[in-house]
Amino acid sequence: MMRLFLLLLLAIPGWAERVVEFNRDVRPILSDNCFGCHGPDATAKKIPLRLDSEAAAKSDLGGRRAIVEGDAASSVLIKRITTEQKGLRMPPLASGHTLTAEQIGTLKLWIGQGAKWQKHWAFLAPVKPALPKVKDAKWPVNALDYFILDRLEREGLRPSPEASKETLIRRVSIDLTGLPATPAEVDAFLNDNSAEAYERVVDRLLASSRYGERMAIRWLDGARYADTNGYQFDGERTMWRWRDWVIQAFNSNMRFDRFTLEQIAGDMLPGATMYQKIATGFNRNHRGNTEDGIIPEEYAVEYVVDRLETTSAMFMGMTLGCARCHNHKYDPITQKEFYQVFAYFNNVPESGRAMKYGNSPPLVAAPTPDQQAALAALDAKIAAEDAVIARHSKEAHKARVAWEAKLRSGETVNWAPEVMLDASFPGDVPVGTEKADAAQFDIEDRFSFSGWFLADCSDCSLLSRMSESAKAKGFGLHLVGGKLAPQVINVWETDATKTEAETPLELNRWHHIAWTYDGSKMAVGHTLYVDGKPVALKTGQDNLYRPFRNAGAVYKQPFRVGAGAGKDMRFRGQIKDVRSYSRVLTAEEVESLAVGLPLNRIAAKPEAQRTPAERRQMDWYFLDHAAPEATRKAWARQVVLRQDRERLERTFPSSMVMAESAAPKSTFLLARGQYDKPGEKVEPGVPASLPPLPSGAPNNRLGFGQWLVDASNPLTARVTMNRYWQGVFGVGLVKTVEDFGLQGEWPSHPELLDWLAIEFREGGWDLKAMLKQMVMSAAYRQSSKASPELLGRDPENRLLARGPRFRMPAEMVRDSALHAAGLLTARIGGPSVKPYQPEGLWKELIMQDMEYVQSKGDDLYRRSLYTFWKRTVAPPMMANFDSALREACTVRENRTNTPLQALNLMNDVTFVEAARFVGQRMMKEGGVEPEARLRYGFRLATGRAPSAKEAEVLRANLQFHLDYFAGKPDRVTAYLKQGETPSDGSLNPRELASYASVASLLLNLDEAITKE
Amino acid sequence: MNPLEMTRRHFFSRTSKGIGVAALSSLLNRDAQASGGLPGLPHFAPKAKRVIYLFQHGAPSQLDLFDYKPGLTKARGKDLPESVRMGQRLTGMTAYQATFPTAPSVFKFEPRGQSGMVLSELLPHLSKVADEITLMRSLHTDAINHDPAVTFFQTGFQLAGRPSIGSWIAYGLGTLSEDLPAFVVMVSQGKGNAQALADRQWSSGFLPSKYAGVKFRAGGDPVLYLSDPDGYERAARRRFLDDLGKLNDLKLADQQDPEISTRIAQYEMAFRMQASVPELTDLSKEPERVFEMYGPDSRKPGSYAANCILARRLAERGVRFIQLFHRGWDQHNNLPRDIRLQCEQTDQPSAALIQDLKQRGMLEDTVIVWGGEFGRTVYSQGTLTEDNYGRDHHPRCFAMWAAGGGFKPGTTYGETDDFSYNIARDPMDVHDLHATVLHCLGVDHLRLTYKFQGRHYRLTDIQGRVIRDLLS
Repeated sequence: MMRLFLLLLLAIPGWAERVVEFNRDVRPILSDNCFGCHGPDATAKKIPLRLDSEAAAKSDLGGRRAIVEGDAASSVLIKRITTEQKGLRMPPLASGHTLTAEQIGTLKLWIGQGAKWQKHWAFLAPVKPALPKVKDAKWPVNALDYFILDRLEREGLRPSPEASKETLIRRVSIDLTGLPATPAEVDAFLNDNSAEAYERVVDRLLASSRYGERMAIRWLDGARYADTNGYQFDGERTMWRWRDWVIQAFNSNMRFDRFTLEQIAGDMLPGATMYQKIATGFNRNHRGNTEDGIIPEEYAVEYVVDRLETTSAMFMGMTLGCARCHNHKYDPITQKEFYQVFAYFNNVPESGRAMKYGNSPPLVAAPTPDQQAALAALDAKIAAEDAVIARHSKEAHKARVAWEAKLRSGETVNWAPEVMLDASFPGDVPVGTEKADAAQFDIEDRFSFSGWFLADCSDCSLLSRMSESAKAKGFGLHLVGGKLAPQVINVWETDATKTEAETPLELNRWHHIAWTYDGSKMAVGHTLYVDGKPVALKTGQDNLYRPFRNAGAVYKQPFRVGAGAGKDMRFRGQIKDVRSYSRVLTAEEVESLAVGLPLNRIAAKPEAQRTPAERRQMDWYFLDHAAPEATRKAWARQVVLRQDRERLERTFPSSMVMAESAAPKSTFLLARGQYDKPGEKVEPGVPASLPPLPSGAPNNRLGFGQWLVDASNPLTARVTMNRYWQGVFGVGLVKTVEDFGLQGEWPSHPELLDWLAIEFREGGWDLKAMLKQMVMSAAYRQSSKASPELLGRDPENRLLARGPRFRMPAEMVRDSALHAAGLLTARIGGPSVKPYQPEGLWKELIMQDMEYVQSKGDDLYRRSLYTFWKRTVAPPMMANFDSALREACTVRENRTNTPLQALNLMNDVTFVEAARFVGQRMMKEGGVEPEARLRYGFRLATGRAPSAKEAEVLRANLQFHLDYFAGKPDRVTAYLKQGETPSDGSLNPRELASYASVASLLLNLDEAITKE
Repeated sequence: MNPLEMTRRHFFSRTSKGIGVAALSSLLNRDAQASGGLPGLPHFAPKAKRVIYLFQHGAPSQLDLFDYKPGLTKARGKDLPESVRMGQRLTGMTAYQATFPTAPSVFKFEPRGQSGMVLSELLPHLSKVADEITLMRSLHTDAINHDPAVTFFQTGFQLAGRPSIGSWIAYGLGTLSEDLPAFVVMVSQGKGNAQALADRQWSSGFLPSKYAGVKFRAGGDPVLYLSDPDGYERAARRRFLDDLGKLNDLKLADQQDPEISTRIAQYEMAFRMQASVPELTDLSKEPERVFEMYGPDSRKPGSYAANCILARRLAERGVRFIQLFHRGWDQHNNLPRDIRLQCEQTDQPSAALIQDLKQRGMLEDTVIVWGGEFGRTVYSQGTLTEDNYGRDHHPRCFAMWAAGGGFKPGTTYGETDDFSYNIARDPMDVHDLHATVLHCLGVDHLRLTYKFQGRHYRLTDIQGRVIRDLLS
């Protein structure tokens, strides 16, 4: 880039007399070539000269000064960069850096002009600039244009004329919705001759729900969103609720400061809602390692570093990660400061080892709006049945009195919950009883056990589904050293959740004992009850991460009573009434189970002497069996409804969220960044070179989030505006969108960037308003046609003397083909889908048990941001078209032009099928004459009508294909059968094949995949 | 010339009508690295033009293949002395083992070739070409688990996100082929315990994605989307491209965007690949003796042996960096049985590749590298019996070999302690290997850099030295 900059400078007559500006001209040279040694890390390396601070650079180092203001010849810096003595010449050969003659000239000139220093621009608060005065006052449409035009006029350039209406509506539709305008939308715009026609289009697009999807695409890249964990095994995770939150936030135009704060610390906001918690998934989208044998502490550090790098790149445009191992080489960030920011993100109750399948805690249940509605509907129905029961309470009471009287005189009746009963062993249960099909639960299932035990052993198994060996695999309730111990174990030392009662169980007397487990794979998921009361558990080990089943193989162990985990663990004593449930029993249910009295004995007690548990038990049995019909039926319906509710809840997707540990974790400076080399303890804090936390902000992650969006923060608004500028104009005002540090590039329009940042912040962080300003500008509306002179002068279009023209990002290449074909599914959000993908791509790389099962029906045609993203095997079309790989935060947009892309567009079934449907639309909607049909197809692909010459090529191409397919029904059939959605059978197949071929040609046009 | 980008010649022919010389030169500067590698590279006269990297994925045991430890017989079954282990970290798979029983290899070793290089009986074919290879017995790595360790070998860093070695070389040196990518990858399945692999192991990281490795596959299209749709024959595709070219040319004349001209060139390149890749992957014209040399597996598409023949064919056609991944070396248990199966698949073809290249006069300018991502422990994972044991991951020392392209043949480099646990002499790490391979290609690893996020990155991160003793 420096090259381009110098090229531009050289193009200005008399550049040698120019005034050198430190920030623009000098610092980039020093930073890139010198700071590696003479930068912020110099002191640590015992190098006396520092060039990153003015005082140090100009100080007297034993009679010699690197920089003597106004005197280049006496400045040692100049001597050392110009000396002919190889050994003394700076930068040293081994550094890999060399200074060009221009760079040396710039440094000389700067020192000659007094060596004026400036603080790094990006760390200074933006100052709202006055609009520059321009010669051509008629051109600007809004404020942005003054800055663009001012630079153009200074460069001696003229803006380009406005683009044609067809081009403009296609361009702005792609930028704001990710989809090109349809022919009907183009026509409407062409026919609207009012002055507000364009603005109306812009407003329509901003209001479209496609807008949120468009904006989310790039946000997902930055947030390294994926549907799998990454690293080696790369199992599936569920973060699409976060993805949908992002879409919704963009669509509702949530204030960007709010959008930021909720993603950084939504969980810490007062009364945090489910959605605010889901938002924090931003910092949980990092990879998670599940490889057998890893050392979890190592990866726990990597996750925090990833959060830091992502957060700093996205909001601060900084690469804080560079200070992980040593002081930053270029930017004023010390290693200690890195760990101070690290501390904000280090307080999550998490393990370095991720769950092999599914989400890793902390989590939140994240029902979709549909599921929330279904839940509310069920709750209403449950309440309605309560009302029915209440209505019939009088007659029920009468029946109750009679029933109790009968009970008292009748036989023994016992109560126990029946809902989701998995197995029961009534009466005395012999030690060692086995049942092959009972309690076949895995680690993500919910289950409960209940039973009566009289134990005469202090190390023994009460019940289990475990191998019969020491350090067994499976789950079980044991006595260990006389204490009850619920355990779920995969590998004894490294993959288990083991808990233990804090106090010993009284041996040799009967106890009712119940154990529930909620499927969370964590120690907190265990609840243990003794004699109906929950008992305190302490966690012995909490690192369960793999299910019992392995690579699709079922784990076969029977349920055992009084046995399992080896002969030494055999139970001694007596056991009665063991029950297994495939749900979590409530505390009330357990308490009632522990009553130990049959109902007829309870009935014999006067009402007032019954315990609450006894009363409940009586109520439940009565409602189940003895109440009058109306009541009993209402109750029965309610029981079913409650089961439905439980089943519904189990289908709720979860979402990984940020949370704060109850006991704050300490953070240490890690020597060389290594997890096992902790040094000095550090407290959370923001870097000293940036403003302090806003007053009143807590010194935690919430405070950090508030700091990011505080008015004093010089970075967030600038970095954000710059990234959206990149999205619209192709290149950021600061090209290095991820780096606003000293190594970052000088902005092409610094005042414009500041203007945008301040306007954004002061205007209420209104992203839609800012995007509207960008696309309403005259600069944006220019034609993208380039004259040879302009191309030579400004190949990257940094000066914006023409409109932007770029190949669309991967997602939009696919989406616009599906859109032209009329296949695109409009549905927003939901689980990720698996569209066409060549066979075997996953299989040849991954381990045994994850298969690419292609989606069906309209899920084949969802927008590409819904495509299932497996980190280790990214969707191939996305990878071909330069998508970010979602391993780590990516904010720079990357475009290459390769033959693999050509093959992809010509031969991928996605595009072959899309072409077939564009062909079908040409025949059905394009009119009768070939010319009209071809014209319609051309418009579907490019948004404009073909020129006469283009029409001629198309006509000839159609004729070629008609001939090619003539008399070859097999050829026609073979060509038309690709893709799962059949064509309209009423169309002539040969013609359809021919139109489909022309349509494929159209979808392959440079223009069809380009925003022009 | 890198065919994945526009050709310079093509660019001139398309645009000389319309664009001034000044414009042209800056456009070419802008894309200077795209057409043929970086200006100024190679930095010095290279020994090698290309690399064939035979990655043995899962980590083969140095103790059973390359690092002969006769003294271990006496220590058999005894706990690994603490003086050797020195509290170094172990994986979570064996950290909790009560004992660490020393497991000498059950395989015999013998000196081979004139150099007397000591190799295992599992490698009869490699033994015959021992005088051609350079055995490196003193490699070590920082990573202890597969994914980070493979990532480290591929990119010089344990965490994903940096460019792979092949991408660096494609970026620096470009390709020598008119119609094939600069960096090609092939994957084959072994018979042992396979660990997952990932596309990103050959990704271009922060380099432009055109430098990513292109995976050639055995099933379906050798390159994704290579074949025309059913019913669409070559003549139709030719006409399609002619008309596409005409329309794109009209657009170019109107718009003057050089990207359009690049796109036209890429479609032509794609068309050529549609012919050149099937020709390349069609082994039917290889003579009988070639299949005999590479062994019985070589007739099976997608096998390691067939991929070795393909590697030679790719090398002949100018591909810069050819990388094979053979899975299945992760022998935590049943090592004696499984390693034999892996060697049956890999020994003969690897040795054949050396011979084949030598016969064609290509060995001297081709570097072959053979090795996994770390070594394996001397102690048995799980129970040690008379004829069975397993070995856990071991990053402290392991062995690889290289051949050709400037490596010193018939050389054994480095030494480990009596337990093949720590390095006793001449340690070399992953960065050193990278620096040395780049050196063979005429590239100074310190000077092949790419600026990203403000930092000048290189393959060797902040380390690496060229190990001159490995080179002739």
